[in-house]
Parts: sequence; C-alpha cells; structure tokens
Amino acid sequence: MRRHAALFFVVAALAAATGRSERTTGFFAPAGSFAIEISLENSPYLRLPMGRSAVTSLAIVGDLAVGGTSAEPGKGPFLFAVSLSRRRLVSVLDLDAVVPGQRAIQSGFGRGPNGVIFAGTMPQREGEPGHLLRVTLSEAGVHATDLGCPVAGEGVFALTADAGRDTLYGITHPSGKFFSMSPSDGTRVYDSTAPDAAALATYRRFALEPGDYLSRRLALDREGRVYGSQPISKVFRFDPSTRTIEVLPGDLPAVWDRRVLGRVDSWALGPDGLLYGGNAGDGQLFRLDPASGRIVNLGKPIMMPRLKGLAFAHDGRLYGVAGGQPGYSHLFRYDPTEGFVDLGNPRFEMVGEDLPPGILWRGFQIATLEVSEDGGYVVMGDEEALSQLMVFPVR
Amino acid sequence: MRAAAVLVPFVLVLAAVGRAEERPPVETQLLCLDYPGFPDAHSSWGSIGYSTRYDKVYVGVTNHRDRIGLYEYDVPSRGLRLLGFVAEMAGLRTHEWQGKIHSYLVEGPDGNIYFSTDGGEDRQEQLMDHPHGYGGGFFMRWEPATSKLTRLGKGLPFDSIKNIAVDEVTGLLYGISYPQAHLLVYDLLRSDVADLGRLTSGYVPRVLFTDWWGNAYYVDWRQRLVKYERETEHLAFARDPLPSFDGTPGLFVMSGITAVARDREAGIIYVMTYGSRLFAFRPAQRGIGTVEDLGPIYEGSRPRWDYWCRNLARGKNGKLYYFVGGHGRYTEHGDKVLMMELEPRTRAKRHIASFEFDRLLDVPGSGVVDKQGTLYFAARRADPKALAAGDSGSSVPCLLMFNPERPWR
Repeated sequence: MRRHAALFFVVAALAAATGRSERTTGFFAPAGSFAIEISLENSPYLRLPMGRSAVTSLAIVGDLAVGGTSAEPGKGPFLFAVSLSRRRLVSVLDLDAVVPGQRAIQSGFGRGPNGVIFAGTMPQREGEPGHLLRVTLSEAGVHATDLGCPVAGEGVFALTADAGRDTLYGITHPSGKFFSMSPSDGTRVYDSTAPDAAALATYRRFALEPGDYLSRRLALDREGRVYGSQPISKVFRFDPSTRTIEVLPGDLPAVWDRRVLGRVDSWALGPDGLLYGGNAGDGQLFRLDPASGRIVNLGKPIMMPRLKGLAFAHDGRLYGVAGGQPGYSHLFRYDPTEGFVDLGNPRFEMVGEDLPPGILWRGFQIATLEVSEDGGYVVMGDEEALSQLMVFPVR
Repeated sequence: MRAAAVLVPFVLVLAAVGRAEERPPVETQLLCLDYPGFPDAHSSWGSIGYSTRYDKVYVGVTNHRDRIGLYEYDVPSRGLRLLGFVAEMAGLRTHEWQGKIHSYLVEGPDGNIYFSTDGGEDRQEQLMDHPHGYGGGFFMRWEPATSKLTRLGKGLPFDSIKNIAVDEVTGLLYGISYPQAHLLVYDLLRSDVADLGRLTSGYVPRVLFTDWWGNAYYVDWRQRLVKYERETEHLAFARDPLPSFDGTPGLFVMSGITAVARDREAGIIYVMTYGSRLFAFRPAQRGIGTVEDLGPIYEGSRPRWDYWCRNLARGKNGKLYYFVGGHGRYTEHGDKVLMMELEPRTRAKRHIASFEFDRLLDVPGSGVVDKQGTLYFAARRADPKALAAGDSGSSVPCLLMFNPERPWR
C-alpha cells in the first residue's frame, strides 16, 4: 500500500513536471477572449495565405476590425475585414488587384470622415513608389482606391489623417521625409525629418537601416498638430496652421549608449489630452504633454525592446504590447496610480469554421493593438508567417 | 559496460488477454537496461536512434536540468556505454547550458548521427537573456567513426529545437523550434539555416519526419499534414486534417502526431496522433500523398481519443508495437502501461502485456529497429528513490528492447 502511494506521488510529480515544461498555465487568457483564424494555407474557407498575413496595420471601424498586411519579399499584401460580433473574417482584398508591386501596408491607418480610412504602402523594391490608399467598407466588403504616390521613388512608412482638415500626413521610406497631402493644398514634402549625413554615418556604425530608425507611427494632438520621431531619438511636431516643423527639446527615453535606437513605435492620445508613446529602441513608455512639449519617461513595462501598440480602453487604462523578436510579446496595462502590470503572453482559444473547441493560439509576435470604438475590446494582430487576430474584453 | 552486467530483471505482469499463440512468452522477448554512470539520470524522451552503418543504438539521457548523457548500445556485443556528456563533448560554455535532447537521433547519409537540444524546464521560456536564461537549442552531430561530437549551430534565439529529421538523400536537416514552432531547414553544405516561419498554434507537436525522397512532414493546428517538398523548396498543406474521433478536444487535435514507424518496402509511414488514432500514410514524391485510417489505437471504456501513446515501432513481422498509458491517461486496467500489437493489414489489435509503474511508466522514444529486427524504446519507470534523490518529476530512464520473433535468452 505504501509502495503504491509512493508511486502515485511519483506519477503526479511527473505529470506536474511535464505540464510545467509545456507551460499550460500562466498565460494571459481572460474570460471572453478569442483568436480569430484569419490565415490558413490551402484553406477551404475565406482566409489569408501563408507569408502574406502579418497584420502590420489595424483599425476598428464599427463592428469591423480592418487590417493591412505585410508580405514576404516577392509577395503582395492584403486588406481584410473581420466582424468582431460574428468572430469571422468577412472580406479580403488582394492589393495586387488595386496597386501591383507593393509588399506591405505597415503605415498604420489614418481615419477620415464617415468610416473611411487611409493607409500607405511599401513597394517590393526600393526606388519604386509606394501608394496612398483610400479604404472603404460596405456590405460588398473592403474596397480600396489608389490615391497615387505621394513622393516619387519612396514608400509610405507611416501615415495618419486629420479628418477635420481633410489631410494626410506621412513619413517616406527610405529617406524619412515628412509629407502632407490634401485636396486643397496638394502634396508638400518636408526634408528636415530625414537623417542628415552625420546621422546616417551613426546609423551605419550600428548597422541600422531606415526600417530600423524611421518613425513607425504618427499621431495628432487635439489641435491637429502632428507628432513623430526623427533622427536621432528626437520628436518633431508639425503645425499645420504655420506649416512648420519644430523639434521638441527633450529626447526619447534611452538606455545609456543606445540612444541611436530611439524612434516612435506607437502612439495613443489619452483622455487627458496627453500623448503616450512607445519607444522601439528599448521599449520605454513615455508621455508627451503637447502644451509644454515635455517628454517624461514612464519606464519599461518589460525587459525587451519594442512597444508596437498602445490604446486606451473604456476603463481609462492604457493597454499596450511590448517586446517581440527575438523574444515574445507581452501585453501590459498602465495607469498612473497602478503603474505597469505585465499581463504576460496571450493564449486564446481559436474560432473559425469547423474548428473544434480547445485549439489555443499563442501570440508570440504581435505587431498591432487597437481598441474597439466603445473601448470594450482590445484587438491585436500577429506578424507571423500565419497570423491571427486576438481579441479580449476589457472588464 | 557489458549489457550482461547491467541486466535488470524485467518482471512482467501479463494481462490475461488472448491466448499466447505459437510464440514465446512476451517477457522472454523483452530486455530492459539501465544507463550506467549517470546516477542522477531523470529521463529520456524521443531521444533514440539507430546507426545502420555501425549497428549501434544511440540514446540521449538527461537529468532534466543541465546534464545530458549520450549513450551507445552496440548491438553485436550487447554493450551499453556512456559516450560522455554533451556539454563536455561539444565544448558548451556555462551560458550555453542545455536541458535535454528531445529530438530523435537520426542517421544522415554520411553515417553520422544528428540530433538537437532543448532547454527542458520553465527557465528556458521567459528568462531569455537573463543570466539564468536559455540561449537556444543546438543542432548536433555525433560521428561514430571518430567519437566526435560537434555543435552545428543554433536555430532561433532562445528557442529549443524540439525535434529534427534528416533528408536521407542529401543530408538536409529539418528542425522544429519550441515554443514558437518555426520550421527550420539546415543545409549543412551551405551552412545555411532557413526559417520557414511558424506552422502551428499554442502547442508544439513533437514529431517531425521525412520520407525516402527527403521531404519533411509536420502538422498545423488543424492537424493537417504540412509537407516541405525538398526539390521544389515549397511548403504544401493538406486540404483536410488527419481525422479525429468525434469529441476529440481541440487541445488534442492541435497536439498533432506523437509517433511514426516506417515500412520502406511497402512505402508506408505509420502515423499515430495525440487523439489516439492510427493511420497508414503513403507519401508521394510530389504532393501530399494518401492517408488510410487504421482506427483507434485502443478500445476500452474511455472515449476513443483518450488513450495516451507517443511511441510506435514496426517489427520485421510487419506488426506494429506500442505502449498505451502515461501522463494521467490510462486504460480501464488502471495505473498500468499496456503493450499492444497491431496487424496493419487486418487492423487486429492485441493487448500483449501490462506493466506496473515501477516497471514502466512512460515510453516517449521509439521507432527504432535494428538489422535483426529488435525494437528499441527510450522508456522510463517510476522510482521513489529517484524522486528522493533528484528533483521533482524524477524517474529512472531505461533502454527497452523487444524482439517480436525470438526470446532474449
């Protein structure tokens, strides 16, 4: 009897040890969370194919999560729409049918009036033009109109829109120039945000390419001024009323001697009118007061670099995604009284046609994070060979 | 050390199942050897393989912390010996620690044995560049002719390499990383590792295998076969999943394939799934190939999908052998591991032996058969002394041999 009891103990311990090694517990998996299967190679269902599904731009318009993807070299991206209420991919648009020769929609979306959104594209080959897209949603699905190339020979690396001024703002690739484009004012290009010779020499010493140092996102404050980063580790502000660019006095927060890595990875406009940003270089969260132009380092939510997504939910808290290659993404939330809470690596149950319950998707590499228009759901997009959309409710 | 010196009496509790046909008692056909020279050995996993060129079986045994013993069983002399510890033989530095070999040990066309390493414990996943973190798994090569172990490089930073397979035509190595489940293709001649990206969900199916043309196979989260077609360097996904029994939980579906066994003459690779179902897969040089359902691996009082088995071997008699039970999933016979025999042509199954936990606890390593038709399994048995001496989860690993045709003595 004692022998049997001892053996049972051994078996239980073995099972526990095995469970640990597969990490069956400890993931972020709140009640009501789910992962929508949006990519599946050789699929009988509406899905994105392998190597063209990295969700590098994301916006929520009503019930729809609208995504723009990045593809492997030689392949083209997609626009897609997911119904959050139906938990299903409902529309895909192969961008090759609209603008051939593009590889990525990584600019983020800018919001126009009446649910229209805008995005920019990156070309397959450097030196070829990226395009601006006007994206509309209807019962028929996602529709895109080519608005042309804003700057000859340049891709569109980052984009935002001011619906009130009917103006798009962007950062070009590889030069890093800032541009504005509107029906009334045409396209204006500003060179001052591009790296000068000294900055380029510095980047060369660190083997950094434009994709590593250009501002990944742009933001608007309540007055319609535009914010982004420029070399090296600085923040610029464009005032549309004077058409001038100023460089704010402070630096992006940096770890000593890694300042060269600083650039804006993400932005969120807070309910307090302050801007919150993520620094890609070392993954610091910072706050920028548009009134004073002062940047405050709020610290690092996790140990890794990158902070690719930020958004305020209806609970007034800031949700973000930090980290990524060569590690894994962590979700976090932040508010001034609570500080940071590392929510961990998400693992949600997958939903999709003919999927049995219990298939779990783990979000190792998350590129985008947005909240639903009511602030009740956080929606995240993977950037994997086969990427999915992960959703969780904010209680 | 000579095998005869370490023979462990292997007392079986034979279940009263079926009449013993005209065949020797099963217990006389089984032999179990303990691994010498590694007192804190904790376990072995899928880490077993066979050299056809040198007629030797190789096994990786671990303390599941930071020491991995590489063992060689010489078939002609029946000698089992410790070749050495991986860290010392491969010159791993302290920060390059490895927890275990989870992968198969596969024979390349050059006659060398290839395997990969794994972090093994929790600290592998989240500590990363912390001083106690795990830097990532290595591809390794053991050269039997010169007794030399060489590290061939890493896959993904911080990821283990859970399993590997070899293209027996060109020597191309395939690896699956853990936990991110990236398929890696390592061209040794060009010293190039291609990352083909993530293939599956929140669990990393353990089995990656090749056919005789050098194509590699894995599964996605729907349990659909994914083929890397070597000649075209193209990934192909099966349209339909390997079928699961009604009610199979998604967690089991996404866990994919647990074991394979090859019948080269018939052009069949037998495939077992986590959902306790067996298939005869007939690969094709181009395209996915065909799958024949051979049904449940065991039929008892539990749901048909709920029998734990991650081992499979094919005897020269054409029959398949496997052990059912482990990890809290046991049959109506209670806390025992059952040995099964299955005739693929008729699909007839026989329960041929039962083992208490102190005889056999789990059989994670399999698929190995030598020229004489002996099957080899990397097994482990429960042992309270091992638990007392080692860390949580300790067992006693052992090399289990079974010859379906003849008794050992």
